[in-house]
Amino acid sequence: MKLKVLTLLACLAGSMGSALAAEGELSIGTEGAYPPWSMSDANGNVTGFDADVGALLCTKLAVTCHFVVQAFDGLIPALKAKRFDVIISGMSITADRKKEINFSVGYAELANMFIAAKGSDLAGITDVDTLLKSLDGKKIGVQAGTTHAHFLEKRAPNADLKTYDTLDQMQIDLASGRIDTAFADQSALQDFLDKPDGKNFQLVGVKIQSTFDPTLGEGIGVGIAQENTELKAKIDKALCELIADGSIGKASQKWFKSDISRPCN
Amino acid sequence: MELIQLAVPVLLKGLWVTAALTLVSVLIGFNLGLGLALMRLSSNGLLAGFAKYYSNVFRGTPLLVQIFIFYYGLGEVSLVRDNAVLWWVIRDGSRCAVLALALNTAAYTSEILRGGLMSVPVGLVEAAQACGMSRVLRFRRIEFPLAIRQALPAYGNELILVVKGTSLASTITVLEITGYAKRLMSQTFAIFEIFAIAGLLYLVVNLSLIAIIRLLERFLMRHESQSRQGLSAPRSDESAAVS
Repeated sequence: MKLKVLTLLACLAGSMGSALAAEGELSIGTEGAYPPWSMSDANGNVTGFDADVGALLCTKLAVTCHFVVQAFDGLIPALKAKRFDVIISGMSITADRKKEINFSVGYAELANMFIAAKGSDLAGITDVDTLLKSLDGKKIGVQAGTTHAHFLEKRAPNADLKTYDTLDQMQIDLASGRIDTAFADQSALQDFLDKPDGKNFQLVGVKIQSTFDPTLGEGIGVGIAQENTELKAKIDKALCELIADGSIGKASQKWFKSDISRPCN
Repeated sequence: MELIQLAVPVLLKGLWVTAALTLVSVLIGFNLGLGLALMRLSSNGLLAGFAKYYSNVFRGTPLLVQIFIFYYGLGEVSLVRDNAVLWWVIRDGSRCAVLALALNTAAYTSEILRGGLMSVPVGLVEAAQACGMSRVLRFRRIEFPLAIRQALPAYGNELILVVKGTSLASTITVLEITGYAKRLMSQTFAIFEIFAIAGLLYLVVNLSLIAIIRLLERFLMRHESQSRQGLSAPRSDESAAVS
């Protein structure tokens, strides 16, 4: 009886561990509301740079991709609960997140920037220290659970931080004037500037690279469950090949109009 | 342990916001609800019809949808944005949440109070009329006290629902218990512990509310318990007048 239970458990554990290899499917958790990284339409189709990276990865690994759309701050908990195999969602690699999950090599890196209304006092600032100081008492929009939120909690403790579940909600509040400024990566803010609502706004001319503060992470990577070392090795190898042969650079040209791929070392 | 030290002070900050949201929206909601209940029971068809549709619309749609309509929906309307007073309310997440919560609880409160008012025996009202009491006096001395006694258990329920409803304010940037819990979640990833503490805080608030309501109920029903227990204590003049 005991043996039966044990065999059953072993089978279960085995099937869970090799779910990926057995079914030939890689389920990918992504936010689906973070243009141009990942956008999902009403039918559940996911497009964007992360969707392309996922598709390239799946082709390389010879598996089929299956996207699961989920709010950003719930991605890590869901990965730990095995709702999907990996996270590809513009997620920066940070020390805090590494305590919870594993990451592939970084595949991309973007500058982080502030956005403000044209002609506002923030808009004209050109150095980072003045910028961080003048954030005191300002209402800053930021997406919940992002490196941007952690950065502001640490470097702008006197600011009035407004956290949003999605970037769309943040953009609505930015347009309506509920918040003075917003902090995100350059691509996400550019997406807002390209919309009609963004016509009265501009980027603040200070690029904050991830080297400036460790809370901003070390580039963007694929999130993988800690115990899944086999998958990490496969993904690392595939990503390095995709970066080396320029496929990821090409995908980033399509979505960002520049190559944001991070060299693999 | 370290986690509790980190989380509890932050969540307690949120507790005050939750309490303030509840208090203000209940204060507004109760008065609106009372007005709506009276409108509903009035012989004026227009007033009664308005109160009826109001309560149906607000009870028939989810609170989260109402909050989103007020915050994101009305925030897009230029008429609202150009009006200083309206924009003052809609601009701020917590004021917007209070607005939605108050209008929502007003609908439920009006139904609860309507039930209470309808349970007042006609004979008592007629007796009061016969004594020559004016309408206002009659309402203040006879109908309202009796109605509130009937309605209190159900209204206690509604208060608990309002406390829990405040958690939805976290979706429009308000940092109350749930808002802080979500922020702590993405800092620590200790989801189970953080939300267990948050749940506990809601539980403490609601259990104290239940206790307060029960005390209030006992106070309002003190004549009943005395007669039920067969105590020979003399009835107070006030309760003698209404029973």
